[in-house]
Amino acid sequence: MLEVTDLVAGYGKVKVLHGLSLTVQEGQLVTLIGSNGAGKTTTLRAVSGMIVPESGSVRLDGEDLTGLPAFKITKKGLAHSPEGRRVFPTQSVLDNLLLGAFPRLTGARPRGDVEADLDRMFALFPRLAERRTQLAGTLSGGEQQMLAMARALMLNPRVLLLDEPSMGLAPRLVAEVFATIARLKEQKTTMLLVEQFAAAALEVADFGYVMENGRLAAHGPAAMLKNDPAVRAAYLGHAH
Amino acid sequence: MNILSQLIVSGIAVGMIYGVIAFSYQLTFATSKTLNFGQGEALMLGALVGLTTVNFLIGQALGTPLAYLLMLPVVFAFGLAQGAVVEWLGVRPAVKANSEAGWIMATIALGIIFRNLAENIWGRDALRFPSPLPEASLNIFGVRIQPMEIAIVVGALLIMLAVEVFNRRSIFGKAVVATANDRDAAGLMGIDTRRVITFSYALSSMTAAFAGVLIAPVTLTGATMGAVLGLKAFAVAIIGGLSSGMGVIVGGLILGITETLTGYYISTGYKDVPGLVLLLLVLSLKPSGLFGRATIKKV
Repeated sequence: MLEVTDLVAGYGKVKVLHGLSLTVQEGQLVTLIGSNGAGKTTTLRAVSGMIVPESGSVRLDGEDLTGLPAFKITKKGLAHSPEGRRVFPTQSVLDNLLLGAFPRLTGARPRGDVEADLDRMFALFPRLAERRTQLAGTLSGGEQQMLAMARALMLNPRVLLLDEPSMGLAPRLVAEVFATIARLKEQKTTMLLVEQFAAAALEVADFGYVMENGRLAAHGPAAMLKNDPAVRAAYLGHAH
Repeated sequence: MNILSQLIVSGIAVGMIYGVIAFSYQLTFATSKTLNFGQGEALMLGALVGLTTVNFLIGQALGTPLAYLLMLPVVFAFGLAQGAVVEWLGVRPAVKANSEAGWIMATIALGIIFRNLAENIWGRDALRFPSPLPEASLNIFGVRIQPMEIAIVVGALLIMLAVEVFNRRSIFGKAVVATANDRDAAGLMGIDTRRVITFSYALSSMTAAFAGVLIAPVTLTGATMGAVLGLKAFAVAIIGGLSSGMGVIVGGLILGITETLTGYYISTGYKDVPGLVLLLLVLSLKPSGLFGRATIKKV
């Protein structure tokens, strides 16, 4: 479904990715783990068009998306819940969710039933339902994270990129975020998850990629990576 | 007492015009962090295109009020197009080239070109704009008010309200606000933020052009009418805050009223001083504007 091949990308003269390849199959939850600065976030940004890759390719169902601006890639059905949540602070929870459905509401993607999807989001994140008229900037960090995920889901995406959904959250909320991800997986949402909590990510994922200095260090079924001694020593050794 | 209320009423009409132009500065600043320093020229062109249209329609044996109303859509369309041209020629290339200040020079240059163009088309003399409303003043509680002054206040409030309703209610308006909040995140929603910025320039010039035809019947029109208005409204935008909608109305009224008061009680020669002193005070004491909030980023 999502196919990334030999991706080279970075910021200005600083190259972060040195030829990265990965694949996400339909209905799969794939996780991308690695230490800070390994290039996980940069990978997602290059895939979703927030930065333009220098070389390599990004394909969605065989269609070449490489180098397209972010808004065009979103219209192709790729949603990206970015690092740092990036909700629209001066707009209500409801408006944030509607903006997630912007391509559907403006005819760039099949409309489907937006109302029903709003209800689905409010069922998935009951706290957002309570706060639907509240400005997103006044939500707590955990609520903003839920909103960022729900907003991305409102696209009805073919693939969802999730960047560090657990970042900065209290342990109880981290567990809640992972429970939600597990539920989305049950609903056959195709996801690429970047996580600092490698152990928890490998626990829910089907497949995993381990990054090191802008390259792949290991990859394989999540269950296998979890028990790989080298991966364990490097990324799962320290209790978080 | 009567003179004081008379002065305040006159100040309100001028102040609302400053407020609307300042509001039009906010529109482009919100989405692009850039401004059109030729905004006064957008106003002037709107007024002159309006004048030609009104005169043409009156020539078709229409009454002035009807001619004025029919002229508005023409001026709106012209303003939209003019703003899009400014963004396209002046702002986009400079921003694309990562030039920090290129758009400042480019919009000033375009403003000068527009003024020259207007001087060649409409001449250098100030022209009278036919008033759609009776020019005789109404006497309300001993204060004399021109009907057009009331129209200015109502028109100014209406256009700001219309933009506000559009931003809050329609999905395209929400996309504009989203772009203002966080351009990258708006892009991830599938919003073409470049087009949003072009649109906000178009809307901004349309608002200024409307301000031009609002004020034209009580002043005179001409190629140079925009320069001082644009500059004073810029001061109001700074005083009121470039990001606070309400601030520009209050800022405009403060400037408009202090001007008429100074003009009467001190000297018309010093009319422009208090507003600029206020600007300097605000800049030194509260740089984000009287009503602006210092931006806080939640990480």
